[in-house]
Amino acid sequence: MSGARFRSLRRLVLCAGGVVAALLPALAPHPFVLSLATQAVIWALLASSWDLLSGYTGQISFGHAGFFALGAYTAAGMAKHLGLSPWLGLLLGTGGAALVGVGVGFPALRLRGHYLALVTLALAELIRLSAQNWLSVTGGPFGMYDFGTFPGLPAGAVARAQATYLLVVAVVAGAVAVMLYVCRRTRAGQAFRAIREDEVLAESLGINTTVYKLLAFALSSGFAGLAGGLYAFYIQLVSPTVASAATTSLVIGMAVFGGLGTIWGPALGALLLFAVNEALRFVGVVYNLVAVGLTIMVFVIFLPRGLAGLALRRQRLTVRRDALRAEEDAEPGQPEQVTGATPSAEDPRSTA
Amino acid sequence: MLEVAGLRSGYGRLEILRGASLRLPAGFIVGLIGPNGAGKSTLLKTIFGYLRPFAGAITLEGRSLVGLRPDQIMQLGVGFVAQAGGLFADMTVHENLLVGGYSLGSRGELRAALEDVYARFPLFRERRRQPAASLSGGEQRALALARALVIRPRVLLLDEPSAALAPRFIEEVYETIRALNRSGIALLIVEQNVEMILSVAHRVFVLDLGRNAFDGTPAELRGSDRIRRLYLGEGSRAGIPA
Amino acid sequence: MVLGGLYALFAVGLTLIFGVLDVINVAHGEFFAVGGYLVFAALVLLHLPPAAGVAVAGLGAFLLGLAVYPLLIGPLKRRLGRRPAGSLYLVLTLGLSTFLQSSLLAVAGGEYVRVPPLVSGILEIGSTGVSHQRLLVVTVAALLLAGLFAFLRWHREGLAVRAVAQNPEAAQAIGISLTRIFVLTLGLGAGLAGVGGALMAPLFNVYPAVGFPLTIKAFAITILGGMGNLVGALLASLIIGVAESLVVMAIPSQWQNGVAFVVMIIVLLLRPQGLLGRATSR
Repeated sequence: MSGARFRSLRRLVLCAGGVVAALLPALAPHPFVLSLATQAVIWALLASSWDLLSGYTGQISFGHAGFFALGAYTAAGMAKHLGLSPWLGLLLGTGGAALVGVGVGFPALRLRGHYLALVTLALAELIRLSAQNWLSVTGGPFGMYDFGTFPGLPAGAVARAQATYLLVVAVVAGAVAVMLYVCRRTRAGQAFRAIREDEVLAESLGINTTVYKLLAFALSSGFAGLAGGLYAFYIQLVSPTVASAATTSLVIGMAVFGGLGTIWGPALGALLLFAVNEALRFVGVVYNLVAVGLTIMVFVIFLPRGLAGLALRRQRLTVRRDALRAEEDAEPGQPEQVTGATPSAEDPRSTA
Repeated sequence: MLEVAGLRSGYGRLEILRGASLRLPAGFIVGLIGPNGAGKSTLLKTIFGYLRPFAGAITLEGRSLVGLRPDQIMQLGVGFVAQAGGLFADMTVHENLLVGGYSLGSRGELRAALEDVYARFPLFRERRRQPAASLSGGEQRALALARALVIRPRVLLLDEPSAALAPRFIEEVYETIRALNRSGIALLIVEQNVEMILSVAHRVFVLDLGRNAFDGTPAELRGSDRIRRLYLGEGSRAGIPA
Repeated sequence: MVLGGLYALFAVGLTLIFGVLDVINVAHGEFFAVGGYLVFAALVLLHLPPAAGVAVAGLGAFLLGLAVYPLLIGPLKRRLGRRPAGSLYLVLTLGLSTFLQSSLLAVAGGEYVRVPPLVSGILEIGSTGVSHQRLLVVTVAALLLAGLFAFLRWHREGLAVRAVAQNPEAAQAIGISLTRIFVLTLGLGAGLAGVGGALMAPLFNVYPAVGFPLTIKAFAITILGGMGNLVGALLASLIIGVAESLVVMAIPSQWQNGVAFVVMIIVLLLRPQGLLGRATSR
């Protein structure tokens, strides 16, 4: 499928999806369905935010549950302890998570793949431990509740569910749109891709990898925090399990399923996987996680680009082109001429 | 003995060799020279199985090597000495040699092979317990060579044996190469140091941009003005052309 | 001391796997858990003697570990070719971890499983008493680790393992089959973790996620000791084990687990190569 035709097909699919999403409250005005849909959308945001950092910029984070939890606890905490409006809480949750993200980003500048993943994992665990033990602020193992929800929601169950759903969808759609815009249409996005492909090369081309890495961290963790805040106000209970490794695992599974490095892939993957997850709950509560684990393994090996990759064969070339923005003209049809390696050595990967 | 025909090879989608050929007759020393990026190391690595060729043939005494793994090719009597590293830095000299004989069947065979190597390189007998990383550059290169000899190869592939060595050590290494050849081993040597390789090789192939540019005896190469200018450097000093 | 010994069994196995395959096995804790469950099955369900139980656990974990490379890592390696993509392997083992953990949950249920002590009795030392069980853990751990180090130092295959860890290309050049060594290493690492699980089962309850906190701690330990450095892992295990025991006296015990994380973060910031540094130059 040629690039242009694919793009228009994708736009069509997205529009159709958008229409369905918008009309869902009317099509299926059942609180349970809407509740599932709302959660799925929140997960979509979380998965996309993870992808921005790990799939798109190549900075693998195993601790996104931590940012999610930070956003959730901050938002809830602000509402409960300081009586702030949930909107403000959301904002603060997002900002707080983003700040911590940048904080994590600094040492991450120096760390390679494994180390970064481990540090983020440890961080998430620390957050979980804090959540579990800092009774006065976080309510300990039982979590926080009773901190109110979005203001101005209608009273009836169905209407309430519909309104909440629409609200969440709007916020999430906006957030994902922002991420997509940044990645696709700004220089930052180019920088992210370059960093993922070959950091050394990116540096040598004058890309300030430090700034862009930190930006990726900030955006990614901020949006994860936003997802957390939305989750908090939606579910109205925040407990330490949101920061657990199982959460991170689920998020990564969704992202891998949907397709790493695409932003929209993980969002889609999240929606689908969440649906599957819930469906499997009817089979038996635990088998869903087994399936998640299997999905991750199978997809990483056989379909690393996930669902998105099935249709994105051509887009792989963008990545190589971007890594070598030294020449302004890029020829889409001749990947063989474009080397993805450092220019000087005879054998670019002779010691790989 | 070893024949390469029309080899196309490279890394991922990057094609470096675009149809290279050469022949290494038994008991000969063949040199492979050419500018940076020509694909010399790539050719060697492809022969030894580290890289899978896109197209072309590689045969050892008529038997195809394409698709075999390095450890399988080694079993056929081919040794490989890498350009840099190639040693086990945290092991002692003795352990490096010992593990070189990993594929030998019996302990007796191993002991005999090690004895031979120590006889040829008495220096290592003294230094057996030293960590390999503590040896000088030249000694390390010699150790890598020695290790490849434990299995008594019939063919040796050397990737830039003189790289990063002081001239004194280069002489020693090439003395060893001559001695090895006298004992019957065929050697295919990739080199940047054109002078040295011209002094030992029976035949030299010149590679440029992934293809053969010339081949002949060292005398023929030196005799051609064009080759001298392009690949041997102006005048007769060893060097890499601009 | 007990904790140190246990951590050592666990972390050394993890480090071995990382050193040889350059893959961080996020699922290492699950081998530990499997060991615990196997010893339960052996002792309680099959009424085997304790020694046999531990052996079964170790063997079972070993076999499970053997399967990991051919089924998972190998295919991914083939797919990726020579591109270094450590992060994808990490995601792969994360998937394995999730899969194993939830499979254990599905098969065995989430409740704690009690395993009777392998040996009973208390040894009096001065004014305190140490249970024989704990001594057993330390002893077996010490023996196994000594055995492992001896294997690596003197045995032909052990030499091959070290060779692959230090220089896979040169190792191939001398006829070592990388695949075989990878498979063996994973089996060894998993087996060690499994024995650890079996030994610890009577002291701590067994449940599907029992391995996870250990895994994270093991990461901290390996980083502290220097990734890929076995001796470093050993030392770091003891250090962390002792540190945790001491720290408990100063801060509330729920935070005990946090010690390892804080250490890890500090080490990564100040001295990423750990105490002893990466054993090999790669």
